[in-house]
Parts: sequence; structure tokens; C-alpha cells
Amino acid sequence: MENIKNIEINPLKTSSSLGAVIVFLGIKNAVVLMHGSQGCASFDKVTLTKHYRENIPVYTTALNELGAILGGSSYLKAGVKNIADKINPAFIGITSTGLSEVNGEDIHATFNELKKELKESGDYDNLSLAYVSTPDYDGNFEEGYKNAILSLLQTFCIDDRENLAGAYNNETIDKNNIRNISDYKNNDKNKDNGAKDKDIKNIRANVFCPFSFTAMDFLELRDLLEDFGITPVMIPDLGTSMDGHLDENGYLQTTSGGTDIEDLKKAGLNNLNIIIGSSLKSLIAPVKKITGLNTYYFSNVSGLKNTDLFFKFLEEISLRKTPERYKRQKRQLMDAYLDTHFYFLGKNIAIAEGIDILDSFSEVLSEVGANIKIGVTTSKAYENLKNRFEILTEGDIDLFGELIENDGNGIDLVISNSNAGYTAEKIGVPILKAGFPLIDRIGHNFKHYILYKGSANLVYEAANLLMSVNEKLMEEV
Amino acid sequence: MQLKVKEELFDEPTCEHNIQKKEKKACKTAVPGSSTGGCALDGAYIVLSPIRDALHVVHGPINCLGNSYNQRTSESKGNETFYMYGMTSSINENDLIFGSEDKLKKGIVYAVNKFNPKGVFIYNTCVPALTGEDIGGVARELTEKLNIPVVPVQSQGFSGGKNLGNKIAGDALFEYVIGKKEPNIDILTDYNINLIGEYNIKGELFLIKKALSDNGINLLSNITGNATMEEIMYSHKAGLNVVVCSKALVYLARKMEEKYGIPFIEESFFGLSSTNNAMLHIAESFKDAKLIEKVKKNIESKTKIIRKEIEPYKKFLTGKRVLLYTGGVKSWSLISALNDLGMKVIATGVKKSTEEDKNRIKEFDANGNIIMLDNGNPVNLIKMIKDEQADILLAGGRNQYTAIKSLIPFLDVNQERSNSYTSYEGIVHLGRQIYLELNSPVYDVIRKAN
Repeated sequence: MENIKNIEINPLKTSSSLGAVIVFLGIKNAVVLMHGSQGCASFDKVTLTKHYRENIPVYTTALNELGAILGGSSYLKAGVKNIADKINPAFIGITSTGLSEVNGEDIHATFNELKKELKESGDYDNLSLAYVSTPDYDGNFEEGYKNAILSLLQTFCIDDRENLAGAYNNETIDKNNIRNISDYKNNDKNKDNGAKDKDIKNIRANVFCPFSFTAMDFLELRDLLEDFGITPVMIPDLGTSMDGHLDENGYLQTTSGGTDIEDLKKAGLNNLNIIIGSSLKSLIAPVKKITGLNTYYFSNVSGLKNTDLFFKFLEEISLRKTPERYKRQKRQLMDAYLDTHFYFLGKNIAIAEGIDILDSFSEVLSEVGANIKIGVTTSKAYENLKNRFEILTEGDIDLFGELIENDGNGIDLVISNSNAGYTAEKIGVPILKAGFPLIDRIGHNFKHYILYKGSANLVYEAANLLMSVNEKLMEEV
Repeated sequence: MQLKVKEELFDEPTCEHNIQKKEKKACKTAVPGSSTGGCALDGAYIVLSPIRDALHVVHGPINCLGNSYNQRTSESKGNETFYMYGMTSSINENDLIFGSEDKLKKGIVYAVNKFNPKGVFIYNTCVPALTGEDIGGVARELTEKLNIPVVPVQSQGFSGGKNLGNKIAGDALFEYVIGKKEPNIDILTDYNINLIGEYNIKGELFLIKKALSDNGINLLSNITGNATMEEIMYSHKAGLNVVVCSKALVYLARKMEEKYGIPFIEESFFGLSSTNNAMLHIAESFKDAKLIEKVKKNIESKTKIIRKEIEPYKKFLTGKRVLLYTGGVKSWSLISALNDLGMKVIATGVKKSTEEDKNRIKEFDANGNIIMLDNGNPVNLIKMIKDEQADILLAGGRNQYTAIKSLIPFLDVNQERSNSYTSYEGIVHLGRQIYLELNSPVYDVIRKAN
């Protein structure tokens, strides 16, 4: 249905260019260049700086009215060269914006020209570039994120696969031993085709995670895969780049961690792809095609059921048993569910988040018995979640507030980002702040909300908020 | 097509940049590949969005507002407070093809019906400006239909930076808001002033207002922190405009002088001496011996009290070295505040300063050795701090991570500052915060572990 309101009041959704910027921030020794007016980059930079509390290396081509009308190719070229000369990063990720796209200029052609010029000059041999088209008037955050990942694969993986063939010969395992399914959940029957080779060593997996993962989620997932003997190449890697660490070299003008471009180039020589997150579902086909690898998809890795499934998958892929510490974490989560479920009895939850948090948080909270009542999200891609919510719709925070108020006193806990704080406060409901942006919280990148341990964290945090309201009510009587 | 910003906005007779360089676009300096600040939309939104009983609608794609609303720290008190709301027409590909003026109108009507505001500001952005949407026409039509001022703000980002956006906002206020209403006679006193360019960051306006009223001076309208539409509409009744910390809004003050005959002065409320000077200058502007005497008396007693309060901090801070990197007026006004605390400013950023700002820096520079820092890129800042053995960096949030990642103590003095530093109470806060930051054990602990 068309949004009859015709205006976004306290928007929940953000732009595709921001999604792309974040992917590029997950690349090692990188800076991002936004092709548009200086404001396009500045708004994103300021918000990301407040969210991460880190220096955010985002730059602008500073397109002015002349460039906007007559064409901005010289601005883009000058921008890249100036950054390369001044900062000397290993990678520059370039995004377009509404302004640079609206006059129909072929930015991709400029990008290719620029690459050629740089190559011919011979001065920029250590610089890699990628470009993704992200007009702000088309698509949303999730699409920009997805398209930037594809751009990285297309740029590096396809370009260099031929040159690199053979580079990994002595490490390559027999790919045929790994099952060819796209959705592990739906194809659980072909167990017998699982890997049989007991000598499998050093499995390398390309891992694609959604932006809803905190830096700690990325890092915990990395540890888990490594504990199963799987070396992950995370694309992007927002764990090592955006976790907030004091680099040995102090202040840096580029990202100080993230996916290594060299690893990206070899992505097609790894053994399998793992894609996590509802928002990344449409990556399955193109990622499989570009890398030529078996690709496994999980809509989320939260809650008991789904985490169990993920561990089963890892056991089969790696031919290893689940390490003891994770078995213990599973038992801890079971106990957390039992301990906290009293506080969720008859309690109604309202969530306004992007599709991935909407999915993973509601998965956990419905397992522990909360009533997932209202969901507002940024896109229409929520069909598979409809059964879990009483009301589920695309919309802004203003609509979210209306739905809660229309519900009378029914909602006990709100889950959303910082922009919903005022709405929740006005209605008088406690809010669990998660997602993006979180500008009035600190340390949220150290929160961990996925797998066994993270799911336990989530139910404890939510239960504490519900408990504090109960205590307040008692005082008033 | 609304592509061009009024030429007049680039031509500021009180800005010596303009006069010296003889080229009207002196303030447009961003080059491709730079990381410099916001665009005209950013600048206009900063100035106008604190008007708390108006709706602020950004006409553009989602990126222009969607990532960045609800982030200001200007405080608003009162029942009608829409300033933390972000509204946008969020135009999409369809709107580009079929035009979005109609969508914008419907959206505003919906929001006005829902919130019942006292006015609406429509901010134009790059994409609709390029496709030739007429927000001026939309505004005219809605003003009539809704019976409240609906103000078009031609703030498309490709026109220039924040500074230009400030001016565009001032121009919008002058054209569409100021002078549209008369105040009730009972709110006027003998000494009515407006503040221009005070955004009430962390409640700073409340501190200034208190100091003014202690002296018997009536703050008629504040442009624009915590302001209502009404108070700006009748601001033309003031006897004096006091421009605070926003060189760009001198444009507005000048226009008001031309049309309404209101003289203006530029003052700063950072620091004890600056606040004292501002109070005295305001009183002198009214040419009223009784007022001047009262203010002088007040200044004397206030100075005694504040000096006593900052004494413990001053003892520690005397001789400590500061690198100041902030914009425009603060490049000199904070020097005065830091001098009050006994600190030594070794360099100050002048990238966004006018020639007049630079002259004022020289006034405060007793020994003539403050370095005027034109290039504030992070590497340069760190080098300067190390070379000059600065003890602390005072700058905006953008440079916070530059400093602390290099284990250099830091205090945010720009719009994201977490304390109010203006007026008499403000200087005590400032001294206390610098004192506490310099005494934090965290830098030593990390240095030893590093």
C-alpha cells in the first residue's frame, strides 16, 4: 500500500549511501569517498562518529552547482587523487548520492576511466578502488549495504580470480564434499552427502553478516568459527574495524581493521559462503555465482532453536564436535530462559527496527514467551515474520508511536534506536535501545546479542527493564 | 528552477574576506577529497530548527535528514516542542519523474493537522532544486490555506557550506517572519534587546538571560534557541540587536538595521571579561546613564564573586598551554575566557574566522605569539600539539578522537559540548571541566600500559 501520509515524521529508514559507507568502513586501511555535495558526506560522518565514537574516515567530492549541472567527473577524479596523495590508504570505497546521480551522468564510466588513468600513471599501484551506485532517492539502507558487498566481490573477486588460480592449490580442499544448498534450514534431509573427508584442514569461509550485528557479535562469531577450525573472511568485517580499539599507532586517518583486500581477491578460492541475516537473503544467488562456492544462508543465528541449527551446520561442515564452552553457553541460555520467563508472562513488546533486529530479537523474545505485538520496519521484506507479530508494517517512528498509543496501555517494552527515545518517554514505556543510530548510549558495540551467549544477554536486559517498571508500580500504590 | 542563491548573500559588506578578495564566493572553500563540514542545508537547519513551535520539513531524499535529525543539544522548554522531530518528504524515483510538489503539500497538511504548529519551514535540497521544484510556490499556497507562516528556505547543499546556510536561514527569517506581528505592550520595557545566533546549547541561553535580567535588560526575542515563532515575529520592536557567536548572521542584523533602524553590536558571552564587556556595551548602546551605572555596579560585584569561585581552578591552570581549534567567533572569544583562567593559548584555529575575528585575536594576544592555525587537518593538529607542548586541545567533537587516540587531553567546546560555558556561571564550569580533564588519571594509566 502506498504511504498515504506523504511525509516521514521521525524516519526509521536511512539511505542506501549510508549502507554502502558502512560496508566500506569494514575494509582494512580504507577511506570512503562520497560523490556529492559536502553535506551528503558530512551528515553521514557526523552520525557515524556519534554512533561509533570513533574517527570516521568519510570524505566528499564537494560537488557544487557547476558540477551538479555540467557534470561531476572531474570532481570525482580530483577527490580520489587528493585522498590518495594526502592519506595514502590501501582502499577507497566510492559511493554516489542523490545529487551526483540525478542528472543521469554515467559515474561508472568515470570510475573505469579513473582506474585506467591511475594505472597508467604508475603512481598508485598500492591503491584499490570500488564504486557502488547509491542514489539516495532509490532504495534504503539495506540495499546500499547489499550492493556495496556485491560491488566489492565484483571488483576484486571476479577481476582477480583468473590471475590467482593456483595460488591456493596446496591448501584447496575438495569442494564437492560440501553440500550444495542455499538455505540450510529448508534442506535438512540430505545429511548423508555431508563432508566425509576426515583430513579436512583449514577450511576457509566467506562470511556475510548484517549491519545489525554489533562489533562484538562479529568478533564472537569469528571466534566461534575459528574454534571449529574454520578461517572466516568476513565481508565486511565490522568487528575488527569498528570495535573501538586504541591502535598501536594511535590516531589513524583510515580504518584500523577490517577485511583485507588480498583476502577479498582470493574469496573465490575459499571453500564456502555463509550468509546470515534476512536483509541479505537476496545475496545468495549473486554471491554463489560470483564466488562459485556452495552457499549457506541463515535468516538469523539467535535464540535456542536457530543457534542449535547453526551449531549443527558447523559440526557437519567442519567434522568437529561442538567445543565444551559452547555446550555450556547453551545450558546457560536455557537457564536464562527459565529464570527470566516470569517477567515476560503476558508482556507485550513493540519493535521499530530494521528487518534483521526485528527478526532476531523477536525470535529470542517469542521463545521466552513474550507477546510480540507491534513491529514497524524499514522495508516491505517482512512477509516471513508476519505470523510472529500482531501488527507488522513499514513506517516511521511517528507511526510506531501512534500504534502504541492506540493500543492503550498494552505495550510494556519498546525496542528501537535513539530516535525513538522521545516517543517512548512521552508514552511512558521503557525502551531497550538497539540498532542504528545509537547516539545517546555508549559501549553498545560491546553488547552481544547473537548465538547462545548473546541471546541470554538479550533476555536478561529486557527482563531487567520490565522488572524496573514493576518495581515502580509497587512504589506508587 | 531555483538553482541560484541570492547573490546578495555572498556579498557581505561587514565581512572583510569579501572586501579583500573581491570575489563574492569567498566562503566556498571545500575541495574534492576533503572532509570539511556540512552544506547549506546543515547550516540553515542549525539556525532555524531550534524554533520550537514550528515544524521543520526537509524536502529531499532520505539522506538529507534521515541520518541526522534529533542530534542537536539546544534545549527547548515549553509545551510545544517539535525540535527533536525530523520531517522529510523523502522523495523517491517516482517523485523525480512525476514531480513531488503535490506530495510535499499533502505531507505538510498532514503534519500540520496532526501537530498544530505555529509555522512551517520547508528546506530545499539539491535534488528537487536541480529538477526545478518550486517550494516558494508551495509555501505561498500553504500559507494561505493553513493560515500560519510557511517559509521556504533555499538551502540546497551544492550552493555552499554551513556558513552560507546560516545566512540563507537569516534571510528566510527576515523575509517571512520578522515584523509580521506586534508584541503585547506589557512585555516591552525600556531596554529591549534581541540575541542573534544564540542556540541555547546545553541551556546556555538561560544563563545569559539571567545575567541580562539581573541588569534590568529585557531579552525580547532570541534568534533562535528555545524561540517561538511569535517572539521572532515581533523581534523588530527591540532597541538593540546583539549578535552572538555567528558571524554569518550579521547579515540578518544588518538587514534589520536597514529596515527597522535597530542598531547592532557583536558580543561574546564566553568568559568573565567578555561577559562583563558585553553587558557594558549593551548598556552603553542605550545611552542611559542610570542603566550604565547599574551595570557597572553589577559587574564589580559579579567579578568579585566569580573570581573567588574560579580561584581553585585558576591556581592549577595558570601557565597551562592550550591549543584552541574552533570556528569563527570562538577563535577569539574563548581566548579571553582561557585568559581569565590563567591559561596560555599557544595557537588558535582561524580557518573559519573573518579578518575581524583575526584582529580580535591579536587584541587578546598580549605577547603577540599566538599561532593562527589555518590548516586543521588532524595530522597537523597532533604535530602542533606535540611541537608546542600543549597540555590540552579544546575543539569540536570532530577532533575528539584525533586527540584522545593520541593520548592528548581534550574538551569539546563546540555544539556537542556537554556543559554550558557562557556567562558568569559558564566560566566556572569551563574552569572546572578543564581542571578535571587535566587531572584525569586515564592518560597516564594507558601510557604506562601501552
